[in-house]
Amino acid sequence: MAFLLRRLAFYLAAFLAAATINFFLPRVMPGDPIKMMFASAGSELSLDNLNALKLTFGFIDAPLGEQYLRYLQSVFTGDLGRSIKYFPLPVTDLLWRALVWTVGLVGSATIIGFAIGTLLGVMAAWRRGTLLDVIVSLAAIFSSSVPAVVVALIALFTFGYTLGWFPSGYAANPLLDPALSWEYISSVIYHGTLPMLTLVIVLTGGFAVTMRNNMINLLGEDYIVMGRAKGLSDRRVMLWYAARNALLPTMSSLAIAIGTVLGGSLVTEVVFNYPGLGNTLYQAILARDYPVIQGQLLIMTAAMLVANFVVDLSYVLLDPRLKKA
Amino acid sequence: MSLFSQLATNKKALIGMAILAIVILVAIFAPLLTEYSPVKRVGRPHQAPSWEHWLGTTRLGHDVFARLVHGARVSLAVGFGAGFIITLIGTVLGIIAGYRGGVIDEVINFFTNMVLVVPNLPLLLVLAAFIGQASPVVIAIILGLTSWAWGVRVTRAETLSIRQKDFVKSAEMLGEPSWRIMAFEIFPNLISIVGINFIGSVIFAVITEATLEFLGLGDPNTVSWGIMLYNAQNSSALSVGAWWDLLSPCVALAVLGLGLALINFAIDEIANPRLRTGTMLSRWIGLVRAGEGKL
Repeated sequence: MAFLLRRLAFYLAAFLAAATINFFLPRVMPGDPIKMMFASAGSELSLDNLNALKLTFGFIDAPLGEQYLRYLQSVFTGDLGRSIKYFPLPVTDLLWRALVWTVGLVGSATIIGFAIGTLLGVMAAWRRGTLLDVIVSLAAIFSSSVPAVVVALIALFTFGYTLGWFPSGYAANPLLDPALSWEYISSVIYHGTLPMLTLVIVLTGGFAVTMRNNMINLLGEDYIVMGRAKGLSDRRVMLWYAARNALLPTMSSLAIAIGTVLGGSLVTEVVFNYPGLGNTLYQAILARDYPVIQGQLLIMTAAMLVANFVVDLSYVLLDPRLKKA
Repeated sequence: MSLFSQLATNKKALIGMAILAIVILVAIFAPLLTEYSPVKRVGRPHQAPSWEHWLGTTRLGHDVFARLVHGARVSLAVGFGAGFIITLIGTVLGIIAGYRGGVIDEVINFFTNMVLVVPNLPLLLVLAAFIGQASPVVIAIILGLTSWAWGVRVTRAETLSIRQKDFVKSAEMLGEPSWRIMAFEIFPNLISIVGINFIGSVIFAVITEATLEFLGLGDPNTVSWGIMLYNAQNSSALSVGAWWDLLSPCVALAVLGLGLALINFAIDEIANPRLRTGTMLSRWIGLVRAGEGKL
């Protein structure tokens, strides 16, 4: 319990740091921060609206400390201001709508990539030096060094345009109304296949390499020899003695990978015109919609912290030593 | 054998270094490789690859090959520049935290962990958005200043174990100043970690620069692979069938990334011999040579 509480306190501090960056960044940039942030709004905003917007960002006539507290107050009460481009839509609404798609995409890609990568890593380590190991290692090197944007563009070109197997945009057939019908769900899966495939390719290599390295370092341990000496089947020693213990350090790389996959999903969504956070953000960047750009940092940080906490929880489950601590 | 002489006999390292050497040579001799200027209109829009334009032309009639070879300069410069800053900060902080311990360690460790959980690309997007149109130099600097955390963590962990070794203890006993111990006793033993950190950071920087530019945060007047992607995407190169416009920078980025990653894996294998792949055949030959295998 103490371990989890300590982690929670740390995550709170990390979130505070992200909010602090958001607060100070417009203030340390040269020029008038208010003019800069709201320049793209032009004269479309009424004075009242502009003042409401400034209030959320702590641009009030008060000392810096008070401005900062005011800003934190809006952030922690879930008020990230309003989009300038889609005024008066609140940033949280805009991002929340998109977050569902991104979480679905990132979540399924991470689970599939983690499962495939870990399994490949276990097998490559177990049959070290065989053709399988060489092929898996080389494929992993390639997949972990190619930018997501390149994989996405090549996938779109090959399967979207040249072969025409998959659609080149949107999360579902735009003619269908969202519903819990098989027709709609299959359309979502069909549209999500290519973006998910891209993320799986980008992710799998890293997991395979980590797992392979962890496994190989464990294979010389006494309990592996012991397991074999007991006459246990090869598969049982591989999965229950070696892989199970090698999984623990791999879990912490999973937490770091979530940052990578969030970043990867940003560009993948732009390439496939997928209505998730990435695309929302891309539109915001093009329109220089600062409240949205800043809001995504907080949402992404929060998503990352939640993911980290889930990994912490699984650590407690997997490593009995932590239960007592 | 030293790290470098071992790299010269590792197959992965050799292929990786050959790829890197070719990209570097192309970048240096870019103006000699093409008769076209990368920023001038030299043909009709979206011409397919031909003898005159090896990789076709862009929407604006720029020669794709000319932009590709000139763009290599920016990718390499940003990659190695940012990679150097990241490695420098990561190594110095990592060694100090690991060797000094105590409060210094706790402070560095706390900040490192914090930077690790704030997602990197979203943070870079916010920074770049406020800077406006970020030039390659600016991108390299912000990458360098925000991406050092992983290096600190790895270097610190390795320093902690080296600190316990006898040669460090004896240097302490002899009264060597601590900066000397860190620089001349500990650092040389971290060389493979530093190497992996450096090459990994270069890969990261090359990828991230291209990504930021692709997302429209770069300076559109730069000639770089990321801006090529951005322009190709914005001129809907794929839907009008101008695949050469989009795939050329894609392939270039993939090849450079692969070359660097091969070098990194080779360093990892040398530092940690158990990780070697090799083929059955070469291992068997090795065994026969050692007199263990029976013919």
